[in-house]
Order: sequence, then structure tokens, then C-alpha cells
Amino acid sequence: MLEIRGLRTGYGAIEVVHGIDLDVNEGECVALIGANGAGKSSTLKTICGLLPARDGQIRFDGHDITNRKGHAIVQAGITMCPEGRQVFPGMSVMQNLRLGAYARKGADIEEMLDMFPILRERAGQAAGTLSGGEQEMLAIARALMSRPRLCIFDEPSLGLAPKIVAEVAQTIARIKAMGMTILLVEQNSLMALRLADRAYLFEAGEIVLEGTGTELQTHPEVVKAYLGH
Amino acid sequence: MTEILQQIINGIAIGGVYVLIALGLTIVFGILGIAHFAHGSVSMFGGYLTFFLVAQQGYPLILAILVALVVGMVLGVLIELLAYRPVRNANHINAFIVALGLTMMVEGINLQFFGAEQVVIPTDAGRVFSIGGVTLPELRLYVILAAAALILAMTIFVEKTKTGQAIRAVAENRDAAILMGINVQMIPLIVFAISTALGVAAGVMVGSLFAIAPGVGEGLVVKGFAVLILGGLGSIPGAVVGGIVLGVTEALAAGFISSAYKDVIAFVVMIAVLLLRPQGLMGRA
Amino acid sequence: MKIRALLGCSAATLMLVGGAHAAEKTLTIGVADALTGGAAVYGLPQANSVEMAADEINAAGGIAVGDDTYMLDVIVYDDKANPTEATNAVRKLIDRDGVRYILGFCCSGATGAVASFIEYEDAVMLVGNAAERSITTQGISNLVRTRPPADYTGAAAGAFVAKQGHKRIAVLGALETSFYASYVEAFEEEFKKSGGEVIAHEVFASKDRDMSPQLTKIREMQPDALLVVGYVEPAAFAYRQATELGMDVPRYGFTSGSEEQFLRVASSEQMEGVWDLRPTELTLQSTTDAGLAYHANYSERFGDAPSPSSPYAYDQAWALKHAIEAAGSVEDTEAVAAALRELEVFPEAVMQYLPVEGKMFDQNGQAYTANGAFQWQEGHWVFVEELPSDQEAYSRFLSTVN
Repeated sequence: MLEIRGLRTGYGAIEVVHGIDLDVNEGECVALIGANGAGKSSTLKTICGLLPARDGQIRFDGHDITNRKGHAIVQAGITMCPEGRQVFPGMSVMQNLRLGAYARKGADIEEMLDMFPILRERAGQAAGTLSGGEQEMLAIARALMSRPRLCIFDEPSLGLAPKIVAEVAQTIARIKAMGMTILLVEQNSLMALRLADRAYLFEAGEIVLEGTGTELQTHPEVVKAYLGH
Repeated sequence: MTEILQQIINGIAIGGVYVLIALGLTIVFGILGIAHFAHGSVSMFGGYLTFFLVAQQGYPLILAILVALVVGMVLGVLIELLAYRPVRNANHINAFIVALGLTMMVEGINLQFFGAEQVVIPTDAGRVFSIGGVTLPELRLYVILAAAALILAMTIFVEKTKTGQAIRAVAENRDAAILMGINVQMIPLIVFAISTALGVAAGVMVGSLFAIAPGVGEGLVVKGFAVLILGGLGSIPGAVVGGIVLGVTEALAAGFISSAYKDVIAFVVMIAVLLLRPQGLMGRA
Repeated sequence: MKIRALLGCSAATLMLVGGAHAAEKTLTIGVADALTGGAAVYGLPQANSVEMAADEINAAGGIAVGDDTYMLDVIVYDDKANPTEATNAVRKLIDRDGVRYILGFCCSGATGAVASFIEYEDAVMLVGNAAERSITTQGISNLVRTRPPADYTGAAAGAFVAKQGHKRIAVLGALETSFYASYVEAFEEEFKKSGGEVIAHEVFASKDRDMSPQLTKIREMQPDALLVVGYVEPAAFAYRQATELGMDVPRYGFTSGSEEQFLRVASSEQMEGVWDLRPTELTLQSTTDAGLAYHANYSERFGDAPSPSSPYAYDQAWALKHAIEAAGSVEDTEAVAAALRELEVFPEAVMQYLPVEGKMFDQNGQAYTANGAFQWQEGHWVFVEELPSDQEAYSRFLSTVN
């Protein structure tokens, strides 16, 4: 579904991703793991059109979407639940959710509120007043509102309490169970590898390892460097 | 008591004009982070154009205002495309200099097209309504009603329409707005069209209540920014509350303290508010 | 003859165009006045009227000096009523254009700046509408003024308003401008003599257009009448806003605005009954044949009626012509300045000057006109009556002020 070939990207004079190849197949959950600054988030931003690609190609459903405008990429069916949640703080939960459906007609908010009951309780509240966990749920729900075919999660557990992290992991598992294609970047490598069908290991802007989630969970290098036991 | 009420009524009409100017400035600031100094001069352009259409081309006032509003929207779009967009990703000082240059340019255009003489937009609203000693001139009533209608329309637009929500979203978080599928290249054009139209409306009000002359626009934009700071940068409710507070404070200050220090007192109030609430009356902490 | 022509040529402003017998030459005169900005309502008509007077003088055969005839040529600079701009404009006229006679000057600030150095120049300055008293109290021998000082008129106005039976007057005006303040001061002094009281001194600045706060305050004090003193535009707004606040007390003022100027701001209904207490200036009711001709010629030439104060400048040009002819020289500015002070009122004058000891200008270089009470009636300023004024007494008083 998503094919990336030879992708290079970066900020200003600094290149942070040096030509990577990456695939996500329909219905699959793919995780990108690796240290801070390895280029995972930059890769996601480039896919979504927030950061220009310097070289290489991104194809979605066989169409070239390299360097297309961000809103066109959303219309093509890719959505991202960004790092740090990035809800619209001054706007209500309902308004945030409606914006999630901006790129398409209609908005089935009821369905989403059923899935995230806490958001129903907070419906009229400004998103900025929600707790971190609630904001994460809102960000996920908002991303799903666009009815994406590929849903990208960028560091969904970052800065959340352990109990909430588990809740977020469950939510992503539920979304996966619904048949959603997922691309996940996560600092918490164990959580990522447990969720993922396949995973890529990033090191200094390059992919150094690729395998199924289970394979990487037991790979000595990964265990030593990222799983910490 | 009558005097206080009368001063408040006097201030509300002026406050309404301030609100419209400040609304235009605040949405531009919210989306682009630009201090759009040329706004006052553009408003005056709208006022001049209305005067020209009414006094020299014989248009009915309403039609002239509509034409001026549409011309204003187009002008706003052109300003965004030709003046601000090219410096969009450059250092902030560039946009600042563009804004100053644009002010001089628009003032020059006004002078060239409409001359240096003061103009007053003629209206036939000359009646005076009186309720228990408090009088309300017909023209000021229309100004208050029109300002209220525009504020209401603007609020509904921003809160209830998809485009309005997209504008707010871009103001709150541009990257997240892109992820929602919002075309962030289009939004500034819409914002400038609306901002300029509001400015033109304010220009028409100034031109009919008072007068349009070289320099009036600059004075107005200073008041507009004062309102912005008073109400909270980028905040729409802040612009509304701040504008009315400024208008009424000026009227009360002129009436009860001294008309000579009217502007000074208004700015003293602004500073006092900022000391107590640095984020402005309606700004977020 | 040849030698004289050569001498004439040596002066930068003079040009030989004449034939073998009488030489026809050009005398360039300068105008410094507000052509743009808020004071343009006074300055632009003055500049226009000087140009018109110059053409009329030329058409009537120019200025005769000995065997020569001088045709007038006018250079006009915009001083925006700003002291710095006015100084620059006059310096340019004297230093670069070689001009010796400078006319115009509608506004006191700019005029005062030029008056402060004109004494040291080989030039003559003729002041028009600027009403600040101090311009003619400094004994500047090469300066004359056609318009009487504001307090001369203010005193007459105070006596007139007291005669109407008012006791409590509220003043609203450009009181930070000193000649308006001096008008009010003289007004108040006269008004108090008959037991009246000025109960409010509210101020507006020349750029203010919203006087409702001040008027609301005044309304609350319930005065017998309102006195509005200031430039036409803010004054027009004050009259309009007074009606908008439902004030129905008599409104008096000191503005000298034309009907057109007021009607741009206020409707005729809003102006109905307003009094203007000012130098008689140009009005069609009280005017002479010269005034009627001036009004007609000006309207035809500029497509707009002349402002009431514009003849101050028109009369400057004619006064200059007569003074040069009396002095018999264009080069000797001292002689021309002296001749101005000896001048009797001439038939071309549009304003109705009241001579002092038989002369148009008194020893201070100050001319006086009658003061008049004008009232807005159905769209027009109507001359109602002359205000009691004593130019001889005032002239003596002026000589004691420094």
C-alpha cells in the first residue's frame, strides 16, 4: 500500500534520513523503532507532506505522492496522529473531532464517541483543558475521523503515565483489529514490537534491521540497545 | 446618571469601529503572526471608494458599500498574494518591513486617487432618537447595529462553518491543521479577504460618522493594535471586548477627566490591564 | 534706456521682454501656504486668490515703476501649515528663486516661524488669514497683515453674545491653539462685563472629529448657549454632534468656514441657526462691488466658491502693487515696506477695511476689518449685523503689547 524508495529528507542544511526503503502492506501494522533523532519522525512528516523529500519516492496505492501538499495527502487517505497530540487547545472536543473529518463530507461523531466514551463526557470542554491521556484519545479519535486507509501514529505514548500508556496500546490494538493499516513510531520499543506485524530499526537515518515484531523482540542487538534487559 | 449613560452610548459606537478594525487585525495576526500595519490605510481606501461612488458616481449608499466591500476583498487577496506570501517563510523582520512599506504605498494610492482633502460620506440618517434624556443619533444607531451584525456574522462564521473552523485550526496549530486536510495556502487568502472587508466596513463607518483624511488610517490602526493587546493577541472575543472597553473608556475619560488626555487615558487603561493580566482581557495565560 | 535694462537684468527675478521704449519686465512673487492637510481649507483658496489677483493686475497693465511695467509671476509652495515646512518654503523662495515679496500665510504656527527671521531678509512678508496676535506685536517693519488678530474679534463677539441676554456660556474649542485661546479670552473679558459667566472650557484638537464626549459633558451643565471656536472641520462636527445630542441652545462660533465647507460635514438642518462671529470677510450680503466681482471670478475660475477668508490674500497682492508703485522701486524692499504702511485703502480691496488714522495698515503693520455676526439660515450664511468694534482703540492697545 505504501512504498518508500531511497527517501532522503532533513531540516535546513542537515540531512537526517539518508535514503531509506520501507513498505507497509494493506492491513498490516508496521513499527519504526530506534533511538531519538534516528529519523523516524522525520520520515513520517515527509510522508504526510509536512517536510519536503529531498530525494526518493513515496507511493501510496501505486500513486506517487512525493512532496504533494499536506491536505492532498490527507485526501488520498493517509492521516497522522502527531507527536505531542497537537489537539487544538482552544477548541472544544467536538470541534476537534469535526475538524478531523474536514477533508471529507459528513462526520460520524457518534460512532467515535461510542469508541471513546471519555470524549463524550468532555464533548463541550476546550481540548486544552483535558488531561494528557484524554488528549491522546482525542488526537487518535480525530485522526480516525477522516476515515483514513493508512493511519500513522507518531510517539503516541510520549509523556503519558504508565497506566495511560497501556490504555493507548489497547486502543491501537483495537484499531488494528478493525483492519486498519497502521504505521507506528514509538519510543517504547517493547510496546511497539508487541503491536507490530513487522518493524524497522532506524539508526542514524538509515534502516539497519527489518523483521517481524516477534523476530525483533528477540533480536540480540535490539534487546541490548532498546529493550533494556 | 444620564451623563454616564450618554457617554457610554457615545463610546459604544466608536468602540464598534475599533472592534471591526481589531477583528481584521486579530485574525491576520492569529493566522500569519503578522502585524498588518497597512490595515488602517486599506480601511480608509474603502471609505474613500464609498465616498467616491456615492458623491461622484451617484451610487446609492448601500450599493456603494457593497461594491467597496467586494473591492476590499479582492484587495485583501492581492495584498496576501503579492506582499506577504513572498516573505512567508523568511525572517519575521521582512514581513514587518513589508507591512510598513505597504502602509506607505496604500496611503500614497489614497492620496493619488482621492486627494488630500478630508471627505465625509454623505448619509441621510439625520434623525435623533431620545429615550429618557439619553439621545442616540440615527447614524450612530446604524453603526452600532451594523457592527453588531458583523461581529455576530463573524462569530457564527468562525464557530459554525467548516471554513471558519479551519481558520481557527490554522491559528491554533498550523501543522495539525495540515494533518486535518486543511489547505493552508488557501486560508490566508480567505482571512485577508474577510479582514479587509471588515476594515472597509470600519472605514465606511469612520467616513460617515466622522471623516476620512490622510493620517486617519494610521491613527486607527494604532487603536486597533491597542485593542488587540488589551483583549489578547489573536483572540476574537478579546477584540470585541477590548474594542468596546477602549471606546467607552475614551468617551468616559474625555467626558469626566479631560478631552485633551483622552488618548493618553485610554492607553493608561491598556497598560493597567496588561500589568494585571499580561495575556490581555480574553487571552489565554 | 539700455543701461537701465541691463541693470534690471542683473537681478535674478527680472527678465527683459520689452521693446525699445518702455521695458516690460517680470516680477516674481512667492506664496507660502497650506495647500494640503487640515489647513488647506484656508490655505488653498488663499493661494488661488493670489494667482487670480496677479492675472488681474497683469491684465490691467501690470505694475508701473517709472518707465517700466512689471508683469507678475507667482510661485506657490505648500507649507502644510507646518513651521518647518514654511521655513523651508520661504528660504527656497528667497535663496533659490530670488523672490522678495512673499504672500499667503493662512496659519499662525507656520507664519510665526517665518516671522521670526523675516526681519533680517531683504524681503517683504504679507500675512493673510493667520490670526495669532503676536505676529504684529513684534515691530517687524517688513511685515504686514490683512487679517485682524483673533482677540480684536473675540472682544466684539463677547459684547454681542452678552447683548443677546445669555448668562451662562459653555466654550468648546481648539483652546490649545493660542489665537483661538486669545479670542476666547477677549470674549470672556467682554462677556463678564455684563455679568455673564463662561461655565466650561472644553477642548478639541484640530484632528478630533468626535466631540460628543465634550458636548455630553456640556449638555449636563445646561448652559444658555454654546460657543464653538476652532477650524472649520472640527467645528462643523461639533455643531452636528450638538444636534445629535439633542442640544437646542443657541450655538455661536468663530470659524470662518464657507457654506460648502460646512455642508460637507453637517446637513443644513443641523447648521440652522448657528452664528459665526468673525471679521466681516467675504459675504455676498454685506459686500461691495469688488467683493461681488471677486466671488464671481473666483467661482468661475476654480469651479468652487471662494472661502470667506481667501480675500485676505487677494488684497495682499493689490496692496503690494500699490505699495511698489508708490515706492517707485521693486528692488528697494525697505521702501516698499514703508509704502505699505502709508497705503490708504484702495478700491480693489475685497475686505472692508477700517482705516486707522486714514491708513489701511497701522504702525504695527496690522489692518482691521469690521466684525460681523453671521447666521446660518436655510443653507446660507446671512449677514445679520455688524459687531461693535473699535479699531483705533485696539490699534493703540496692540502697540502696547510686545
